[in-house]
Amino acid sequence: MATTDDGQFLKKVSGRNTRGLLRVIILCLIAGAAVSSRLFSVIRFESIIHEFDPWFNFRATKYLVQNGFYSFWDWFDDRTWHPLGRVTGGTLYPGLMVTSGIIYHLLRFLALPVDIRNICVLLAPGFSGLTALATYLLTSEMVTSPSAGLLAAAFMGITPGYISRSVAGSYDNEAIAIFLLVFTFYLWIKAVKLGSMFWGALTALFYGYMVSAWGGYVFITNLLPLHAFVLICMGRYSPRLYVSYCSWYALGTLASMQIPFVGFLPIRSSEHMSALGVFGLLQLVGFVEWVRTQLPNKQFQTLLRALVLVVFVVALGALVLLTFSGVIAPWTGRFYSLWDTGYAKIHIPIIASVSEHQPTAWPAFFFDLNMMIWLFPAGVYMCFKTLTDEQVFIVIYAVLASYFAGVMVRLMLTLTPIVCVAAAMAFSQILDTYLDTKTPKADAKTNESPADSAKVAAAAVLPDSLRSTRTPYIGIYSYASKITVIGASAIYLLLFVLHCTWVTSNAYSSPSVVLASRLPDGSQHIIDDYREAYYWLRQNTPENAKIMSWWDYGYQIGGMADRPTLVDNNTWNNTHIATVGKAMSSREEVSYPIMRQHEVDYVLVVFGGLLRYSGDDINKFLWMVRIAEGIWPEEVKERDFFTPRGEYRVDDQATPTMRNSLMYKMSYYNYNSLFPAGQAEDRVRGAKLPAEGPQLSTVEEAFTSENWIIRIYKVKDLDNFGRDHQSAVAFDHGHKKKRASKKKGPRVLRVE
Amino acid sequence: MLWLFSFLLLALLGAVQALSSSGSRLLVVLEELSEKDKYSQFLGDLEARGFHVRVESPKSEGVALFKHGERAYDHVLLLPGKSKGLGPALSPGNILEFMKKEGNILVTLSPDHATPTSIVSTLLELGIHLPADRNSLVIDHFNYDSASAPENHDVLLVPYPAPLRYDVRNYFMGPPDGVIAVPRAVGQTLGNDSPLLAPILRAPKTAYSYNPKDEADAVEDPFATGEQLNLVSALQAHNSARLVVLGSAEMLQNKWFGAKAELAGKPVTTANRDFVMKVSGWTFKEVGVLKVGNLQHYLDEGDVKKVINTSAFAAPEDNPTIYRIKSDVTFNVEISEWRGDHYGPFMIPQRDALQLEFSMLSPFHRIGLYPEARTHNSTIYSAHFKTPDQHGIFNFRVNYRRPFLTNVDEKRQVTVRHFAHDEWPRSFQISGAWPWISGIWVTVAGWLAFLAVWLYSAPTDKKVAVKKTQ
Repeated sequence: MATTDDGQFLKKVSGRNTRGLLRVIILCLIAGAAVSSRLFSVIRFESIIHEFDPWFNFRATKYLVQNGFYSFWDWFDDRTWHPLGRVTGGTLYPGLMVTSGIIYHLLRFLALPVDIRNICVLLAPGFSGLTALATYLLTSEMVTSPSAGLLAAAFMGITPGYISRSVAGSYDNEAIAIFLLVFTFYLWIKAVKLGSMFWGALTALFYGYMVSAWGGYVFITNLLPLHAFVLICMGRYSPRLYVSYCSWYALGTLASMQIPFVGFLPIRSSEHMSALGVFGLLQLVGFVEWVRTQLPNKQFQTLLRALVLVVFVVALGALVLLTFSGVIAPWTGRFYSLWDTGYAKIHIPIIASVSEHQPTAWPAFFFDLNMMIWLFPAGVYMCFKTLTDEQVFIVIYAVLASYFAGVMVRLMLTLTPIVCVAAAMAFSQILDTYLDTKTPKADAKTNESPADSAKVAAAAVLPDSLRSTRTPYIGIYSYASKITVIGASAIYLLLFVLHCTWVTSNAYSSPSVVLASRLPDGSQHIIDDYREAYYWLRQNTPENAKIMSWWDYGYQIGGMADRPTLVDNNTWNNTHIATVGKAMSSREEVSYPIMRQHEVDYVLVVFGGLLRYSGDDINKFLWMVRIAEGIWPEEVKERDFFTPRGEYRVDDQATPTMRNSLMYKMSYYNYNSLFPAGQAEDRVRGAKLPAEGPQLSTVEEAFTSENWIIRIYKVKDLDNFGRDHQSAVAFDHGHKKKRASKKKGPRVLRVE
Repeated sequence: MLWLFSFLLLALLGAVQALSSSGSRLLVVLEELSEKDKYSQFLGDLEARGFHVRVESPKSEGVALFKHGERAYDHVLLLPGKSKGLGPALSPGNILEFMKKEGNILVTLSPDHATPTSIVSTLLELGIHLPADRNSLVIDHFNYDSASAPENHDVLLVPYPAPLRYDVRNYFMGPPDGVIAVPRAVGQTLGNDSPLLAPILRAPKTAYSYNPKDEADAVEDPFATGEQLNLVSALQAHNSARLVVLGSAEMLQNKWFGAKAELAGKPVTTANRDFVMKVSGWTFKEVGVLKVGNLQHYLDEGDVKKVINTSAFAAPEDNPTIYRIKSDVTFNVEISEWRGDHYGPFMIPQRDALQLEFSMLSPFHRIGLYPEARTHNSTIYSAHFKTPDQHGIFNFRVNYRRPFLTNVDEKRQVTVRHFAHDEWPRSFQISGAWPWISGIWVTVAGWLAFLAVWLYSAPTDKKVAVKKTQ
């Protein structure tokens, strides 16, 4: 902050104390702002868990709180992935749930019994305050200016890029993971600076926590070795680096292996190999450095050359051998899609079908980061100017995170902290330069020092006619320019706050479980079909009724309706999802045996045709077809769902395959009855529907929500008299079977 | 008050006498009530067996099968009448609905009257085909009663039916020389695709279906011939509701109960009364009714081996909802068979097997259930097995469907979980791990020893130390 001569109290010891106090107050205010700007959704709607994944985390947390840690650790969940079940305790990152569980028990210990739901809802805003603090610490390590840290903290607190994953109710792994990410980086920088085993161990500790919380820990696992590697390449190897890296790697790897889901991955999978490689490299470099002190220069050169060659060949050979023999797992598909954005679409439709795995559209950068997106390169440039060890880290982080954020929308989250740090560095530079009220002494130029020899040389080369070269002024003299720049900066900051608030309130604060719309008079109208349907299931079906739906709704059904589901958002079994996709996209006669085999009692579909709700199952239908086609290319063909002209239609020109698919039938069953004859219209796709609606025989309508968003069908039991359902339905409609007409062909005899 | 008591007593008496396992209210639909006398012996037999017989004309009010949405009768006997329509109460839909609610129906046919359309279409729906001509009847030139039908050959004399398959119990067995008269029967054929259908009495090999109105001398393309032609056929729905088609209504009439007949010149006495009793008894669920009693499964491991204690059969700790993979499980199921007035132990036929499936999507185990104990009214079948090395949601399933026995399909869902973190063998119990464990401890000990040596050995020469740090 600006240091002025005016107040005596701002000087020396008392001045430092006052500034420290001020900083604490400012940080508290920033944390307060970070928390409160995330509360829009609670105020607008209610204290409710948002979206999809958070519902699972919430359910898991409830299980943890009810059954204790060990039972959570060994949890076999028999209410998802019916009938396979899921070894949930071993296939999740428990950090989030355990954190909430600890907070819950701590509060109870303090005689503050808080409902676990409220803890879960408010966990993300709470941790965002901590993230702001961690960003302050990280930035303060980078630059000397104390204002940069505060600015970075403020940016981090309110930037939409981070708020998007941490509003109240967004109870997801990222809620605590971003804090851990930034804080681990802070500790790492501290460790590298001090060369301290203590800080290295702290880094490992928080790295372990991060591993327990989010799969994105791989980012740290690769970034820290890369930093170390670049430092070595720059010839900046030092015992400090050696100590900090080795203590981090050894302890951090051990810590990460304690998580059952991670297990032996850190020594087996390719994603973790760079950390191991750099660890080995550091040992070698350390050894070489030691040898250098022991040997004369010439011998050392020969030895070094031989050593490098041998080590390279051995290491590469071992890596290739281990990869081919399968000891080191090859790269996973999700990782390939980081390098080739088209990879997932061709090979793994299930990954491509997730909207947050799509490449980022460029307006999203401005939307999420606003003015920081152009301050960010300036900050990175400033790092280049001095390029200390820790600033090298900023540069690497910035480059890597920018790439990843461009590849995948959700990785915007990892980019945000570094953007905040770099932008704050650039902004604080501006402020520090222009807020200085002192005018530089005009006779600065007469006082030529030997250090200014470059300017002298420049002046000698350049012609004297340029005034700027004749009298090189250092500093800002005119108040007008100061006021202009400061004013503009202030306006930018204000606009930034405005933008952040607007984005948070409009884009990121909807729970998506509850939809809001405006009535003609401007008042808010809540569309609560999801919960209506889930509570119908909860109250009207047996506790063990199996619900089949597309995997998007699995977690919500598990969380809100408390009924077993076939597939859910933990997409661990592609075949099982493809089975559901096949059941949805095939004819009833094909689907029925599948549903019987999987003991399905109810089928749930989402239909937005009445309400113009575009995220419905018919719009997701092609993904179901594609995923099913991946497993059964002979039985389900994407081509059959398109008209000869290549259009995806639902009206009377829809292909027969489309019209006979279970999903289509369930979506449009009885939909005609809402409209005058022949005028049924699908409003979301703007299509006029055929006059004759689809007929269902193997399932029967059980429930349709108020706005027809959720439709639930009951799967019929086998016909009591062994008929197929089509003829049973025909019989109930009064169509009697015809006597077999005169035999055609040979008589079929009955054998007992 | 007295009348109430006597009524109660009567009701109680009726309940005790009732032979059917599923109720005693029997509706007999008969168009001409005057014809009732023809069937008096049969109806008398039914009443003696505890049925509350109510004879109604198809058009009357009392023929309604449902009252307040529930069945008004437990069983229905349809006797042939003149009119082609049976009235709204006995529409095909109502008949099927009656069976969906586990009512049993005995349909009788006669070539004298056209079969009512509602019955034809109901039977057609169930896969039982009747001849298209209304007067068709079954003729056999070898096994006819020469006393009553010397010209027409339409009164068949057939022996008691043999068991349907070697593993199916024969509920219609009689003395080997017993002869059943089947006068003027309408033959039926059964569809091939329904496993619910079973013939009770098949026509002899030489029989064929013939329309006496047919002018032609030779029959071309008859409806069916030989054993494809059924005289009595049965259907048992998934819910075990039974429907029997009796080709000849005259079989039930008094005149054929113990009538004197003549088969190939030898005089015989027909055993119709006995056979008809068996058929009606099966239809109205007096025999061939199974009941599943207690189902029990439990972990059967280690020292706490359980002994089946029939008195405390269902202890609360039984039937856990969750097991672990690779653990020993015992499964018991209690099955009883209806014995006229009580349930008794059920023994599976000699060459048949009762099986238990332990399945997730498909069976992982399909093993035999063997009788392990017997109580006074049930047999306890047991199986012992090890849960497979696959976690998931499994079903214990006993699926026992045999012709003429009510269906047994019992499912119990259990979860099979993985090993918990503390259920694996400890590392020191695995001999293969000893080199690694010793490696760890040697490293630890070596490091500690090194530390001790390092800390307690003072540098001997300072100059050397100084040199080294350079």
